[in-house]
Amino acid sequence: MNVPIPILNMSDRNAQTVKTHCPYCAYQCGILMPSGDENAVVGDSAFPVNNGQLCIKGWTSGELLGHSTRLTTPLIRTKSGQLAPTNWDEALGVIADRMQSLQTRYGSDSFGVFGSGALTNEKAYLLGKFARVALRTANIDYNGRYCMSSAAAGSNKAFGIDRGLPFPVSDIARASTILLVGANVADTLPPIMQWFEKQKEAGGRLIVADPRRTATARTADLHLPLIPGSDVAFANGLLFLALDEKVIDKNFIAERTVGFEAARNAALAYPPIVVERLTGLSEASLRTTVRWLASASSSMLLTGRGPEQQSKGVDGVLGFINLMLALGRVGQPASGYGCLTGQGNGQGGREHGQKADQLPGYRLIEVESDRISVAKVWGIDPTHLPRKGKSAFELLNSLGPDGGIRGLLVMGSNVAVASPDAGRIEERLKSLDFLVVCDSFLHETSESAHVILPTLQWAEEEGTMTNLEGRVIRRRRVKQAPTGPRGDIDILCELAKRLGSGDKFGFQSTQEVFEEFRRATAGGIADYSGITYERIDSEDGVFWPCTSEDHPGTPRLFAERFGHADGKARFHAVHYRPAGEQPDDAFPLYLTTGRYKEHYNSGAQTRLVGPLNATRPMPLAQIHPHLAKKLGASSGWRLTLETRRGRAEFSAEVTHDIRTDTVFVPFHWGGRHAVNRLTNPALDPTSRMPEFKVAAVRIAGVRPPEGRAP
Amino acid sequence: MNRPNLAIIGNGMATCRLLDELDRRGGLGQFQVSVYGEEPHGGYNRILLNTVLQRGSVDEITLKPHSWYAAKGVQFHPGKTVTRLSHAAKRLWTGDRAEHRFDLAVFATGSKARIPFVEGIHRGDGSLKDGVFVYRTVADVESMRARVRPGLPVAVVGGGLLGLEAAKGLTDLGADVTVVHLFDTLMNRQVDAVGGQFLRRAIESLGIKVLTSTSTKAIVGENRVEALVFGGEGRLLCDMVVFSSGIAPRIELAIDSDIPTNAAILVDDTLQSGLAGIYAVGECAEHREAVHGTVMPIYEQCSVLADVLTGANPDARYLGSKVYTKLKVAGVDVASMGRIEARYESDEIVQIVEERRGVYRKLVIENDRLAGAVLVGDSTAAAELVQLLERRVVLPANRLDLLASGDALAGVGSDPEICNCHRVRKSALQAAIQGGCDTLPKLSELTSAGTGCGSCRGQLAHLILQHTHGVAGAARG
Repeated sequence: MNVPIPILNMSDRNAQTVKTHCPYCAYQCGILMPSGDENAVVGDSAFPVNNGQLCIKGWTSGELLGHSTRLTTPLIRTKSGQLAPTNWDEALGVIADRMQSLQTRYGSDSFGVFGSGALTNEKAYLLGKFARVALRTANIDYNGRYCMSSAAAGSNKAFGIDRGLPFPVSDIARASTILLVGANVADTLPPIMQWFEKQKEAGGRLIVADPRRTATARTADLHLPLIPGSDVAFANGLLFLALDEKVIDKNFIAERTVGFEAARNAALAYPPIVVERLTGLSEASLRTTVRWLASASSSMLLTGRGPEQQSKGVDGVLGFINLMLALGRVGQPASGYGCLTGQGNGQGGREHGQKADQLPGYRLIEVESDRISVAKVWGIDPTHLPRKGKSAFELLNSLGPDGGIRGLLVMGSNVAVASPDAGRIEERLKSLDFLVVCDSFLHETSESAHVILPTLQWAEEEGTMTNLEGRVIRRRRVKQAPTGPRGDIDILCELAKRLGSGDKFGFQSTQEVFEEFRRATAGGIADYSGITYERIDSEDGVFWPCTSEDHPGTPRLFAERFGHADGKARFHAVHYRPAGEQPDDAFPLYLTTGRYKEHYNSGAQTRLVGPLNATRPMPLAQIHPHLAKKLGASSGWRLTLETRRGRAEFSAEVTHDIRTDTVFVPFHWGGRHAVNRLTNPALDPTSRMPEFKVAAVRIAGVRPPEGRAP
Repeated sequence: MNRPNLAIIGNGMATCRLLDELDRRGGLGQFQVSVYGEEPHGGYNRILLNTVLQRGSVDEITLKPHSWYAAKGVQFHPGKTVTRLSHAAKRLWTGDRAEHRFDLAVFATGSKARIPFVEGIHRGDGSLKDGVFVYRTVADVESMRARVRPGLPVAVVGGGLLGLEAAKGLTDLGADVTVVHLFDTLMNRQVDAVGGQFLRRAIESLGIKVLTSTSTKAIVGENRVEALVFGGEGRLLCDMVVFSSGIAPRIELAIDSDIPTNAAILVDDTLQSGLAGIYAVGECAEHREAVHGTVMPIYEQCSVLADVLTGANPDARYLGSKVYTKLKVAGVDVASMGRIEARYESDEIVQIVEERRGVYRKLVIENDRLAGAVLVGDSTAAAELVQLLERRVVLPANRLDLLASGDALAGVGSDPEICNCHRVRKSALQAAIQGGCDTLPKLSELTSAGTGCGSCRGQLAHLILQHTHGVAGAARG
């Protein structure tokens, strides 16, 4: 292994071209890369998800590999506070010493681990094992908590299983009606648009619910500019109208679901007169939505972060699932509910044990039989497994002397930018006794680090990812690894050895980790035990669950049964409640956050890529012309936004594409430009998802652009 | 367990909402909650009564089945009227003379239909004559639907929101309905004179006859209704009359219990009445001289009361609600909010009249802020307007911007798609009807409309009806 795989059906000239996948989002486009020094990237036209298409981030992804600011040697903070180069042996030794001394003094849970949806399945699995077996800490969580956790919790409750899309993306093209809620896929998963275009060509209809008229909304047949945070009322309002129009599928409800009565009783409290007031959407458009969904031969409802990143994200997702179950669409051809996963391995990353409450194979750390299964694979006593730890924001908010978590290992995440109320998290990070960051580049989080370990990049090592469809694919080693950085797996094994658990971490290759990981998932909900590297290569990826090597994998879920023991889906009665913070006289506007197509997550990578940064060097605050006029501002003027947590200054982008009561700012920047300094860490009671999508904001200052008289 | 007893008197929409709001705040564990409901049913959504009238079951409009109360540990007393309450003794008594203790009590007794003084409405024994109905409860509509049959002449007295909804429901059952309204404008509390003309046309196009400026003086008939006699001239032969001429808060129990009342039970900003520990929400509560009978203000009251009772937010205050109403009649689009007429000389009025489309829209603006609106024929802008009314924001200089509906509805408005399954637009259907498709089967055969999910068949029938009315009108004229 670790040898570039020649593509056999290509001409000799391209013999060195390697098939792999883009380093960024959950769409995981197939790409082709030459194995030499050149870092050019082209789309893989043979990979059936992107069919050769790439977005601007994908096209330019090669730039990161040879980037001049790349870290090549471990760095350690000196007494004067400077970062100084050191060697690996010393760096790893210092980390292991500090881990042990802090845990001896303050207890095992005093050292935390923070992972990432960017890590491969092998890394995510090993990071979870490292935390539980080598560090024996309960406190491990990851940034996926900020992404898919609400949809994951909703799907688990309703279907007994959580796989973002229960069907391949190609099914989108065959859906007659699609309702996209809070998902701007034209910017966040651009190559997916080919399936929506095919859907439109085939005569299908697209409805987009989003407070902004996004690039995606502009392609829709109907745009519903709902009030931020009103999704539960929207979902219940649609179910009310489905009942009113008598378009629910009574046979499906009777045969394949339980709990309909309670969901219906709850929805009956949401007549249009109430829903219009809560959502700002007209009864006519709500009725049209229901009719289009119900009358189409196939219909889908897909959610993005819009409804999910709320303090009632799970209820929102459950409300939408209720609707699709009531219409009898779930598990039907080209129909049903799906969540559009965001991070590269957001799907695999949430299945294999880097979540505080979870063990590999989507097992739960508080379920005794699950503990026993995993402990057996790991060769430990189940009673030695830690219990459930703190969720992402709660973990970060417990850093430092008064929170109790004195040391933290961060792998592949820039939490200082990606967390809500980021100013507070920055302070927390600074108050740590010891912070280790493993990454390829310096970023806002590593500014507080005591030791920084330089890691290999995506095209320099092997590993599997699980894309938004639940398809397990392979990232391949394309490039010779540079001297200096090491792989995350190597780092974890070396640290485990120094912590006295070397015998549990004796892996010689990524594939060896994969083989143990397969065994650890066997019998779990997310069962990967039948998936091999060879099968991934020959089958364009394999969909989990795949329970044995002769099992074909599962491209489509729910055709016959759901994941609960009785095989039936569950309705849930859900009710609207206000966001953690609603606009009032002092903070009269809604603040909502999101993404640009040029940047990925905290921007730690994409801000380093020339063409991306040149196009989008700064975040802009979108406001409606009516609001701009009241403020006396126009595009380019500087706006100081203020919430109860902080202030930040942005240039204005005046556009009709946003509600008059809402300000939108993308979150890819840190420091003074970090909109997450303003966001509200109100958490969903079930998923512990922070409320990135709704805060109350005021515009505290307006001034003309630099160099212009007021 | 020593939890305080919270008695909720009444089991309508306000109670259902209050129970949900209490539940969300842990209030159902904090208190031992008892609910006293006069009707035998679990709480239901009263604005869906037409579903039951159309021979649907009560289940279809039920918000809380009996099992819900049991599962939540709420003591539910269905079919029990509270007849007496003593604030001093902290006790109440139900019609069966059972005595119940409470620590806190909430009046959610709602309102009853107001029956105007009409000669001959009663039999000799004081009971209502056979054929006289009100439109208020499940029992009311169940008895209405048992009586109505196709072609039956029915009078609906009162052309307000409820009267028009009842008229539509009865028309859908095939009755020959005449709305008799005292004022010259239908829905005169929500719609101005011009809007009333548009509304009247739309109502008449549904096959409902309308008599305005007509007072009902007497009912003719020995033991059962045979005709109405009007105040001026004329009479109307009918076998059934439905009174929907307003509602009155149910405050008899409050008055007997010495709770201060005016038009309804007087409450402060915490929804507490003049007696400590006794609260009121919904249609039986009067807050700052306003009694609200629509659902959203009642929901807002329940949220505040739940905050106050549970201590989840002791500072919560109810500061009043903006009025927003919609007529729930398919094919007639009416929305009204806030003030519908100018009050001050400086008020601005914006009116847009589209005769051919049958659309009338009016904005009332005070100090650059929206004070009210009337929309007839097309209410798509209402959902956004009500936000502006509520938030009191300064309006854009070009007032017409306000009527550009936020949601881009492709194809809706000028030529809406009627059959979504087969994508048949209104214009195509009208052409087919003019070409001779004068029955539903013919129209469906030619255009395929209505042969998919079938949800548009009512609209198809309406289009055919509209055409025949138009032809008949033309022949008369």
